[in-house]
Amino acid sequence: MGNFIFEQIVNGVITGSTYALIAAGMTMIFGVLRAINFAHGEYYMLGTFAAWYAISKLEVNYVVAIVLGVAIAALIAATIGRFVMQRLVGAPFQAGVLATIGVSLILQNAVILAFGGGYKVFEGGWIEPVEILGLGMAQQRIVLVVSAVVIFAGLEWMVRKTRMGKSIRAVSQNIECCQVNGIDVESVVRRTFLLGTALAALSGVLTAPVNVSVYGGMGEAITLKTFAVIVMGGMGNVRGTLYAGLLLGVVEALVSGLIGLQYRDSVGFIALLLMLMLRPHGLFTQKARF
Amino acid sequence: MAITLDTPHAPSPRLPAVRWGIAGTGLTALLLAPMVLDGYYLHALIIAMIFLLPAHGLNLILGYTGMLSLAQGVFFGIGAYASALLSTHFGTPFVLNLFAAAAIAALIALPLGIPALRLRSTSFVMCTLGFVVIAQMVAKNWVELTRGDMGLSGVARPKLGFGDSVIAITQIPQYFYLILAVALLATLAFVLLIKSPAGRCMVAIRDNETLAESLGIPTWSYKLIVFMLSAAFAGLGGSLYAHYETVVSPLVFQMYYSNTILIIVLGGGLGRVPGAIIGSFLFVAVTEALRVTPELRMILYGFVLLVLVFVFPQGLAPLFERITQWLSRIGGEQEKSQ
Repeated sequence: MGNFIFEQIVNGVITGSTYALIAAGMTMIFGVLRAINFAHGEYYMLGTFAAWYAISKLEVNYVVAIVLGVAIAALIAATIGRFVMQRLVGAPFQAGVLATIGVSLILQNAVILAFGGGYKVFEGGWIEPVEILGLGMAQQRIVLVVSAVVIFAGLEWMVRKTRMGKSIRAVSQNIECCQVNGIDVESVVRRTFLLGTALAALSGVLTAPVNVSVYGGMGEAITLKTFAVIVMGGMGNVRGTLYAGLLLGVVEALVSGLIGLQYRDSVGFIALLLMLMLRPHGLFTQKARF
Repeated sequence: MAITLDTPHAPSPRLPAVRWGIAGTGLTALLLAPMVLDGYYLHALIIAMIFLLPAHGLNLILGYTGMLSLAQGVFFGIGAYASALLSTHFGTPFVLNLFAAAAIAALIALPLGIPALRLRSTSFVMCTLGFVVIAQMVAKNWVELTRGDMGLSGVARPKLGFGDSVIAITQIPQYFYLILAVALLATLAFVLLIKSPAGRCMVAIRDNETLAESLGIPTWSYKLIVFMLSAAFAGLGGSLYAHYETVVSPLVFQMYYSNTILIIVLGGGLGRVPGAIIGSFLFVAVTEALRVTPELRMILYGFVLLVLVFVFPQGLAPLFERITQWLSRIGGEQEKSQ
């Protein structure tokens, strides 16, 4: 039993690091734009789909597929960032909600229309089992955790030290002051959006060999889980998102292992509702900023 | 897009007459429709009128109280399930099911609304989206009640009347008149509600909640009641849907329904009664009649949302208003020249 619980926790950490990667992008976008990106999961889906297409139709290897998947999703995101997201600077919250729901409808259904709504099998990835700490698991899972740690370290460094990170923090604190000081707010929004969606696409491509199935509607569930993670982490708080993602992953794994698989997806929503009602500023933030 | 609207002013005294004229023409056209159109086009109109009911609900909560709820599809589905369960288990008559569905949707809205309405702006939207997912999960997993993915089939077709004079509704034209009657009554009830002092209180809450509260309007109770009423409207629509399709499955909780309702209200024009009516006929009846596939329709809705946000923040209703004003002016000039 103890071993089983340990195994579930390890699985939870692995799933949780994917959630954290996706949610990090959304929380940064929220920070600069004050808008929740209802289409965030669609970029996860786009990355996975592009990689699936590259592997099964163009027959490239997995590494090339990762690059292609992220690049194609980023290209689409750059277009949307230019024509939709950038125009949401200073818009009321309804505009952000409705525009991103619109984008989500377009992307999701365009993919279903082009490739059919059925489930596809993702072939590729490093699925050879390795033994670590007495647990056998696919190499891919190790890759996932390691890349999440590396990316979060990189994000932390970027947000604190680089010029872009500083401008992101400045925009999330006060847009008017940034405009007065000559920071190009729209370009910061565009770049943050591109970075955030590229992270979502990357985590999609990295999880695909573990999840195996690829389908057009896969982004919707991810978007909803990401809400739970960013609210738990404190909206706009990148480091909090990592902890919150891991926490959600572990609790989900324990619930599915001990209570039943069908209750797994409800964890996120119960967490979301409780958080919004009791601690809307997140678990890891002392004071409400938003 | 700003939710706050300008108060429309009527420049011509003949404007009400023109409005009534347009409404009368539209109603006459609908009444005559079964004699002209064949079954499939009537079906498209029926679906549009069914969607009009949850759209009135969303218009009430979003257009008149200013809360963006994605949970209208949930209450639509609850209404459909409530009717289907009552009809298959107890064989209750259609009229009873219709009211029971509305009441059950409103009752379920009460415990959901108490926590959700404490939230503001985006948090409220995320919370209502959470309800959609929870509803999907319950419908799929509470197999003893909902029969899971198999859904409930064999919902009785409506019967109207008492004793010997019972009319069984089986044919599309009969359905058409039945649903037209329900939609008309609901629209009438909606208009009476928003013209009442309570309706003006709702607008006050939308425009400035703090000010409304300071004037002695119990904003919290109003918001809760509006949330329940909007659920009741959606429940009515769901009940009609269940009795029309005779099958209910967890698919009624898909985002498709909430999104369609959103497009009807926003596309037609927020906070305007003709808006929801134009919206439902334009975005549901036309796409249904043209046999647009669901995917293509959702892509279209996505573009409509983007256009609404960036180009037409008030939907089509202002355009409609301009046409009626133009018509009333033409009428006025003709009178002068005579």
